[in-house]
Amino acid sequence: MATTARPPRAAGKAARERLWTWLMLPGTLWMTVFLLASLILVATLAFGTTDPLGNPRFGFVLDNITALADPAYRTVLLRSLGYALVTCAVCLLIAYPVAYAIATSGGRYKNVLIAAIVVPFFANYLVRMYGWSVVLSDDGPLLRALRAIGLADGGTRILQTGTGVVAGLVYGFVVFMIIPLYAAMERMDTSLIEAGRDLYAGPLRTFLFVTVPATRQGAAAGCVLVLLPAMGDFVSVQLMGGPDQIMIGNLIQDKFFQGQNWPLGSALTMLLMAVLLLGMLGYLRRTRKDEAEAVR
Amino acid sequence: MSPEAPSLSRRSLLRAGAATTLGLTAAGCGFSSAPDAAGQAAADAPVDVKVDGDLVYFNWADFVDPAVFAGFSKEYGVKVVQSNYDSMEGMAAKLNAGNRYDIVFPTAKWAERLSRGGRLRRIDHGRLRNAEAVFGAYDYFADPWYDPRSAHTVPFTMYKTGIGWRRDRLGDLTGSWDDLWNDHAKGKVFVLDDRDEVLAIGALEHGLPLTTDRPDDLDRVTDTLRSLRPRLRGFSSDSYNNLLNGNADMTQAWSGDMAAMLAQAKDPSVFGFETAREGAPVNSDCYAIPADAPHPGTAMLFIDYMLRPENVKRNIEYIGYPMPVRGSEDTYAALVEPFPQCHVTAADLRDDMFFRNGTAAGEKARDAAWTDVKAG
Repeated sequence: MATTARPPRAAGKAARERLWTWLMLPGTLWMTVFLLASLILVATLAFGTTDPLGNPRFGFVLDNITALADPAYRTVLLRSLGYALVTCAVCLLIAYPVAYAIATSGGRYKNVLIAAIVVPFFANYLVRMYGWSVVLSDDGPLLRALRAIGLADGGTRILQTGTGVVAGLVYGFVVFMIIPLYAAMERMDTSLIEAGRDLYAGPLRTFLFVTVPATRQGAAAGCVLVLLPAMGDFVSVQLMGGPDQIMIGNLIQDKFFQGQNWPLGSALTMLLMAVLLLGMLGYLRRTRKDEAEAVR
Repeated sequence: MSPEAPSLSRRSLLRAGAATTLGLTAAGCGFSSAPDAAGQAAADAPVDVKVDGDLVYFNWADFVDPAVFAGFSKEYGVKVVQSNYDSMEGMAAKLNAGNRYDIVFPTAKWAERLSRGGRLRRIDHGRLRNAEAVFGAYDYFADPWYDPRSAHTVPFTMYKTGIGWRRDRLGDLTGSWDDLWNDHAKGKVFVLDDRDEVLAIGALEHGLPLTTDRPDDLDRVTDTLRSLRPRLRGFSSDSYNNLLNGNADMTQAWSGDMAAMLAQAKDPSVFGFETAREGAPVNSDCYAIPADAPHPGTAMLFIDYMLRPENVKRNIEYIGYPMPVRGSEDTYAALVEPFPQCHVTAADLRDDMFFRNGTAAGEKARDAAWTDVKAG
């Protein structure tokens, strides 16, 4: 037999490689068909037109690309970036203590506590946001309670303000910050914290100069996970924003669903992706540098 | 765009979640072309009104009383397989992608688009026992602009657009679109999150055609709407919830939404609904059978069944929209007694008060105007 000629270790290695190839195949196929194909479709449609029935048609016109020069899109894109960055910052402020508390003091309840944070997010995003908009409405429970204790007056509003939109975005995406931060803290060498204390650093100093740098990769991963969906989100604005809070996701939604202008919607989608890609490249560069330093 | 079901929040959820379906519709992509000549001939052939399979039904969620479905299933021994859409665009995309349904409910504008594109099957009204109550009583629908001689459609509901407001906070209004600029409502005014409806406010204020796409007209429209923008609290199609939960003092609203609100309001007298003297956009949802419907006979039977007086009454009471069927007028009048302007009369059904389809360039221009108004 041919195989008997091969040393057994080499044969085992080849079989393992074949197994890995087979195991990777479904995922690769899935990504190719559903991610790449739809990306290619959107990218090519950005140069397309619309027929009299409103159906999109492939073509090669630059109208949709030149239409992006409209200053309205720049304003809205910058606004979206602003909201996404503020959301990231607020998520960091919320997630750090939560992740820290669970990782350091969770004990045998760690998994239960993480589950308690994650499970509510199994409910549909839209339904949760809709509920949130009811809570924050003018006659809703939160403002009624604040008015009762004198912290708000009849004119205080949360809905249709930037605060309302950020509140919605933070509520929607904070879990994406907590989980990577928690994972980073779990992996962290806790003797560093003890070392910090030994060197007479207070808890805050230790946290800022030991814990935060040691978990910065988790924070960076969390920022990417929050920033990306927050930039493209449209539900938060739809339910909690006003005319001055319109984000790029809302305009894209309009192009597809109201104007039936899929080509322009595709061009806007590509613009958004280009901006997000820049952020993603920055993140990859940073993590590669960190890894190189760690190896050294 | 279109009327709301009683549980409007669910419709709003669907609207807000439209992008969730984006991937699905994009997969179908609506790139298919018009059907061939043989397909067209088949779509024009008359359909027998008889059970030829289960009914595959495609409509807004909650737009027919469940008891009516149950009655149909029981009487004819067929199942009703339901699916819902969240926008006319979504519905058309599914049809274009080759999904097959027996019955759909386009608005007037979409009925025109779909029938012109050869997507709808011809309906022989002579074969429907109850059609006379529609076409014999409502002349307008005998030969509407969107579908000559109603060859492919039967009207289902009618509605118009006006202003809903909090009477307890603002008192009486003047019956004009100018009311949206009311100083007392400043910062608590909503307009619908709908391109045609919002641009229509500006067009009607200037006496321009409702769906104008001329650049100088659109400039005037956007200028006017820009002056409204600082007074706006938001773009939202959730009109009655905005009024009920106190977020809005005044909102552009579909008549049927206001009628549906009556069922939920503790005290309806604190609310009002008016249509403006400059004009109230009017619309109609229609029954239509797609050209490639697998069971057109059952669909015809369903239309006939829906037009029976007892079912018309049930549906009007369930969804809050009037239907152009003789004998149903009293049912609707009783339902909207506090908001008499919800009525859609023969005088309201004017060609120039319907949203019309434009050319591709015209639609693009309107689209740009809408972005201008919305993004600020």
